Amino acid sequence: MAFKEPVEKYNNSITEVSISDLKVGGQSVLTGIYSFDGPVPNPPKIAMEVLDVKPEEWPQTLVDAVGDVYDDPVKWALKCQNEFKADMICLSLVSTDPNGMNRSAEEAAKTAKAVLDAINIPLIVYGSLNSEKDGEVMKAVGEACHGKVILLGPADDENYRTVGGASLGYQHKVAAASPIDVNLAKQLNILLGNLGVPLESIVIDPTTGGLGYGIEYTFSVMQRIRLAALAQGDDKLKSPFINMIGKEAWKAREAKISESEEPSFGNLATRGILWEAITAINLLIAGSDIMVLRHPESVKLVRSFMNEFFK
Amino acid sequence: MEKVNVDFLPDQKSANVEVGSNLLKAAHAAGAHINASCGGIGTCGQCKVFIEKGKYESKRSEKLTEEEWNMGYRLACQTTVLSDCTVIIPAESKLDRSVLKRKEAVKEEKSFGLTASKITIEDIFEASPVVTKRYVELSKPTIENNIADLSRLILGLKKQYDYENLEVDFKCLKNLANTLRNADWKVTALILEKEGQIPKIIGVEEGNTEESFYGVAIDVGTTTLYVQLLDLKNRTVLAESSDYNPQISYGEDVITRILYGIKPGGLERLQEVVIKSLNSLINETVKEANIDKSKISIIVFAGNTTMTHLLLGLNPKYIREDPYVPTVNFFPFIRAKNLGFDVADHVYLYPAPLIASYVGGDIVAGVMACGIHQTQELILFIDVGTNGEIVLGNSDWMVTASCSAGPAFEGGGVKYGMRATRGAIENVIIDRETLEPTIFTIGKVKPKGICGSGMIILIAELFEAGIITPDGKFLKNLGTKRVREGESGYEYVLAWKEETQIGVDLVITEVDIDNIIRTKGAIYAGCSVLLKSVGLDFTNIDKFIIAGGFGSFINIEKAIIIGLLPEIPVEKFMYVGNSSLAGARLMAFSKDKLLEAEKCANMMTNIELSNYSSFMEEYVASLFLPHTNLNNFPGVMGKIKKG
Repeated sequence: MAFKEPVEKYNNSITEVSISDLKVGGQSVLTGIYSFDGPVPNPPKIAMEVLDVKPEEWPQTLVDAVGDVYDDPVKWALKCQNEFKADMICLSLVSTDPNGMNRSAEEAAKTAKAVLDAINIPLIVYGSLNSEKDGEVMKAVGEACHGKVILLGPADDENYRTVGGASLGYQHKVAAASPIDVNLAKQLNILLGNLGVPLESIVIDPTTGGLGYGIEYTFSVMQRIRLAALAQGDDKLKSPFINMIGKEAWKAREAKISESEEPSFGNLATRGILWEAITAINLLIAGSDIMVLRHPESVKLVRSFMNEFFK
Repeated sequence: MEKVNVDFLPDQKSANVEVGSNLLKAAHAAGAHINASCGGIGTCGQCKVFIEKGKYESKRSEKLTEEEWNMGYRLACQTTVLSDCTVIIPAESKLDRSVLKRKEAVKEEKSFGLTASKITIEDIFEASPVVTKRYVELSKPTIENNIADLSRLILGLKKQYDYENLEVDFKCLKNLANTLRNADWKVTALILEKEGQIPKIIGVEEGNTEESFYGVAIDVGTTTLYVQLLDLKNRTVLAESSDYNPQISYGEDVITRILYGIKPGGLERLQEVVIKSLNSLINETVKEANIDKSKISIIVFAGNTTMTHLLLGLNPKYIREDPYVPTVNFFPFIRAKNLGFDVADHVYLYPAPLIASYVGGDIVAGVMACGIHQTQELILFIDVGTNGEIVLGNSDWMVTASCSAGPAFEGGGVKYGMRATRGAIENVIIDRETLEPTIFTIGKVKPKGICGSGMIILIAELFEAGIITPDGKFLKNLGTKRVREGESGYEYVLAWKEETQIGVDLVITEVDIDNIIRTKGAIYAGCSVLLKSVGLDFTNIDKFIIAGGFGSFINIEKAIIIGLLPEIPVEKFMYVGNSSLAGARLMAFSKDKLLEAEKCANMMTNIELSNYSSFMEEYVASLFLPHTNLNNFPGVMGKIKKG
């Protein structure tokens, strides 16, 4: 008898979310690379992160890659689009942090609009992770970018009304972030739903950490969210995932510490890139639909890994 | 009492109430809602009505103008009805229509809620108390028959009451010779008759005292003490009394209480204060019932495992340490005097048996009182106190679990939380349009705080009125000054300071709501995991019994709305109040009940929820109104959507 490959079939599918002309989700398989289990209409996307100010104290490996453009978000975004072939740009408005530079929502909106106008790939705009300020910033960004569809975020349990409101008011999509937990993710989607935000507009940011910092746990929570959606048909959990990978991976001590301090860790440059790429591959297998990365080399690595599945 | 009909227009609602009933309450009973933010004490002037016809009495209020008074306007809260009446509620006193159409659950629950004090016992069992009184008339000793006094007593008892064998407590020998002679050889012996043991004479009283035969039932809760004085002969409650457990000063929950108990001198101190309080509660009941205290013959008490250890002076240390082992499960009879009880020498105390470190005698007593061990129906029993204990089973098997619910429903961890006593808000209605509350307090006085049953209704009302979101957060910019930013975040003002007894605005804060949601979440998750552990779910339950100190009643409908209780048919729920005290009382009345309690304790298998990895997940899923899994609450969701 000929060998027949076992196929894992589900009767439910992940909600398809369109961000401008790019679509994520839509698959009925456990992760976006399990093409052997069924069709994957929209393979996972790689977004590259661009900060709205010149980053301080960045690891040299990152500075070497984008240091020539990192004091100008527009140039930086264009480089990611043209040279590094990113699928999307994720603009992080870190300068709006009230505990830092505290830039105004209006200024931030101008930056977002400038980036949006410059690029021809879809845009994600993330705040500084200060719930209150992000609400204010997203409202301004949503308004400034009205006319095109971008992904705003993160909405959390404190600011989901303002961020969700910005999404509703200006027809954008929203990333709903909750601390890595099945129920909390669902609760936030219910709250957004009560506000009137349709499921087709929501992407889940499950708030995942980097490699070595509890990735096993984040992996299993993401898979459980997927199983709830696909196996149990839980509508509120059918949203695609976005994962802020670069930011978390490059926070790790292991990605940054010099060879002289830790000789056994090996070459710093490759180590940092691998740290980011392996974090990404872990979360890709867990079900990530949008991976937000920082280094062009890890982008290449992750893309070549993905391509293996779609040959 | 004569009843009258009160018709409310334009809503065409009516209520059949007793003559002399308060008009505001009658309106409430009819489901015709009238504004009354002061709680019905005549200060807000919102409950203005026009009485078209009928006899009534009404106090004049400065809130009504001369003109209004002459026209026939009255304040509903200041009016009592004396005959059939027709009352018109003017638009400004009315809530919106959607509220009027709501089903009013309160009065129905009062009728189906069986309170523990009403559990009838006469028909259920016949056996006498574990201590019996035996009156004997003995022949006087003569020179021909000069056997010892005790032998004479034993012979007399054996002859008259068919005892095969009798033992005696040494203590009652001391005065035996005098007692017999003073009483002219007519005495009443007190005999302890525990099955499996030789009956033992524990006391001898002069003359026939069979008629004055009393007992004491005690419930020792972490927060509250309850004492009932019982007439064992007639099986009635003569008097009852309650107070806070004075051990609260040494820690609010069992864990801090245990930690204090293992400090040097701590255990003695905890034992001393609680027994002192119990003594004064016993004295109060004795005084109220006007009986001879020396005729109290037995004390039965039920308490959780920690409270039982502390009352008996047993080292509580290992209760809280893995693997959570209590010192003892089944107790011998203990001489009450030795523990410090101020009662006659011969009085024995019997503690209800314990199951495990966090499932104690209060639960055993409650389960026995509710008769779970006698029914084939599947019962889920929850006792909500500082800890939430759950029992699932029937006459064939029982499993138990305990979850740390927190003291919210007993008033702890909630800014203006309080026990269900006078001045506690026990019911709230919030106008869906104006978001103004109408509050009802126990004793119909100005509010002091809010009790557990009131909290359940309040959270449900805030949720249904759209003031809070499913995660228990206030919506801002609702256009009401009732929602405002306070010291600890956002809050809702239930009563302005001039409407309260406490002189400050009575509020419920976001932190309070969080605590209440955690409490309800722990209870729901505990029930859900216990059911799953035996392969069942809520739909399998035939009866859901709720015990505990919520207040005078619990509104089942509202409890389902907040997801404290599962959405199963309302008829399946039963509220029994303090079932632990009821169990202690039954054990005092009947030795059969005492054995049944031991049988219940033997039947129960305790399950440690902390061993179930799914508990934490169930718990987080329950921290939402009504629940993260909305499919489990289709009725509530339908209702919320409509509203």
